[in-house]
Amino acid sequence: FPPPFQSIPRNPIVLDLAYNYIDFPSLENRMKKDRKGFISRLWR
Amino acid sequence: MAPKTKDKPKASASASQPPPPIEDLFTSLNRHIERSEFQQAVKVADQVLSIAPGDEDAMRCKVVALIKADNIDDALPTIQSSQKFPIDFNYFKAYCLYRQNNLEEALESLKSQENNPATMLLKSQILYRLGEMDACVDIYQKLQKSKIDSLEINFVAGLISAGRASEVQKTLETLR
Repeated sequence: FPPPFQSIPRNPIVLDLAYNYIDFPSLENRMKKDRKGFISRLWR
Repeated sequence: MAPKTKDKPKASASASQPPPPIEDLFTSLNRHIERSEFQQAVKVADQVLSIAPGDEDAMRCKVVALIKADNIDDALPTIQSSQKFPIDFNYFKAYCLYRQNNLEEALESLKSQENNPATMLLKSQILYRLGEMDACVDIYQKLQKSKIDSLEINFVAGLISAGRASEVQKTLETLR
């Protein structure tokens, strides 16, 4: 005692790799234009 | 005098309650996404959709946010209700069905999709659950050159479950 450790087979792990391909669209063009555009318009 | 000044702003406030500009909503939506506040993102996407029903970006954001909030049960009806708009949600639909273990229907949704790493990975995961290990491993073999992180984990799982443990070593060496 204690009994020696023994290795046992386990169920293989499967990862949800498909999840990594679920992503948000780019909203860059849908947001308010940044201030740079506004200022450059003033200085035109 | 006092009631008059009181009334005026009240009346104008209730009369002119325009919805916030759609750009502002998208800006706030984007901020929630960056902060991984997916429940909030769903709410803002809904606000956009109340102004612009069928807006593709808002729809996609809503579905993805629901999936990332682990709210698959709401994601599927959202996808279903979007069918009147020309947006291809088949990959998301297949993924949600897979998460609900509705494997045959998940495969069905993938049929219309072209082969790319995303659809191939999802298909192989579905096949794994269906116990079709050889078909599952076939896909991982095809994906070997695509340099997908952690692919070897699922590949090895497939090989072992297919009773092909003898191929594991060789596979790991070629993936290295």
